[in-house]
Amino acid sequence: MRFPSVRAEITPRPRRGGALLASVLVLCVLALSAQAPARGQRGSVLQSWILTAASPVVRFFAGASRAVSGAGDSAAQTWTARAENERLRLQLEKRDEELLRLRAEVRQLRGEQTMKASAPFLPVVVGTAPVLLIERRAGVQSALVGIGSAAGIGGGSPLAVPEGLVGRVVTSGKNMSRAQLILDASAAAGARIARTGELGIVRGDGRGGLTLNHIPTTSRVRRGDLVESAGIDGIYPRGIPIGRVASVEPGGNLFLDIRVVPTAPFSRLTDVLVLAPFPVRDPAEGASAVR
Amino acid sequence: MLGRIALILAGATALEFFTGGSKYRNAWPVDWLLVATAIVARSGGFGRSVLTGAAAGLLEDALTESLLGLNAFAKAALGYVLAFFSVRVMFGGALAVGGVIALCSLANDAVVALLRSLLLDSPIVLGTPYALWRAAATGVTAGALEAAWSFPWREWRERRRLRRLR
Repeated sequence: MRFPSVRAEITPRPRRGGALLASVLVLCVLALSAQAPARGQRGSVLQSWILTAASPVVRFFAGASRAVSGAGDSAAQTWTARAENERLRLQLEKRDEELLRLRAEVRQLRGEQTMKASAPFLPVVVGTAPVLLIERRAGVQSALVGIGSAAGIGGGSPLAVPEGLVGRVVTSGKNMSRAQLILDASAAAGARIARTGELGIVRGDGRGGLTLNHIPTTSRVRRGDLVESAGIDGIYPRGIPIGRVASVEPGGNLFLDIRVVPTAPFSRLTDVLVLAPFPVRDPAEGASAVR
Repeated sequence: MLGRIALILAGATALEFFTGGSKYRNAWPVDWLLVATAIVARSGGFGRSVLTGAAAGLLEDALTESLLGLNAFAKAALGYVLAFFSVRVMFGGALAVGGVIALCSLANDAVVALLRSLLLDSPIVLGTPYALWRAAATGVTAGALEAAWSFPWREWRERRRLRRLR
């Protein structure tokens, strides 16, 4: 961390450095002020260009990183392969039984009108994308994902993993996009408690957890209840798991103070599913109505 | 010197993406761009430190923030502070360097949180376990780099060679 040869040549000029610092800080403030009115929008054109330009470098390093961690994983898995094989064989037998049972259930459920009615609200997967970087600083929880406008992905596309909701694309470059995670302090989603059907709003707390707001104190919600997207916010489709209720406490007003633990494994995200922007169709008219 | 700074920044960016793309990204979340700013600041040039900090921050903003300039503001100021420490204060040793850089990591968070709160009405979120862990990881890494840099490798190699000859 020291450059002895360089240090000898340098005559530090703190006054000049101070002036430079002041200039840089003023420039930053000007740049920030210029962008501030655009808040709440889906990113600037400049950011979109930067994302497009940076995409090849980021993908290269992220790919190298994934290759290295993948090689490490496969080396470790070689040691545990036999036991795992046995375990998987047993699991497969169990799954076969489950499959038979599920097939029977599916036959019963097929043709039921409820599925037909809710079909327009079910999520449509557009593609998958690797997670290239996750930034968590001062309440900001954002991610760079390796998919962009070249694949038809624009701002507002929801992101999810099989375990649950992850967030939504905010700015998209050609092959890379920036996404806001649902854990971000400014993120929110319309939510529904699956057991009781009550509607509320899930917000990120910026610390890795979620809060469920606007649930009245008369609610029967309890610890362990599944919270899923309600499809009422115009962004996220209905029925995607968001998290499980971790604690329920009486709040200050007429609402409960509910903390939710996300179901998606945010600390170990490697790939995400990109969903079609919601809502796409009006079920009554069958017409296209993108919000 | 400019080439060296560019090289340091490129290395830090590469490390940022290399660790960020891995699923083990949370195991040792070092703020490599802050370490790069500290490396330049350690050489004692105020102007270079400020500009390096601003460039590093701008890069971070372009990829992860909704507003360009939040981290640039914070890291430019931290570059100045680190250069000041390097020139005006007794500043040396792995522990001191690591401690100061860990504090700088937390200060970076605080400045960004404050600016976001002013400009975007975002809630101020500070002192999360992850932020503390990253500050610790950044401080320890910077301390280790300082120790490695100031270690008398030549004498050590010479001593080792002599021992072998005996």
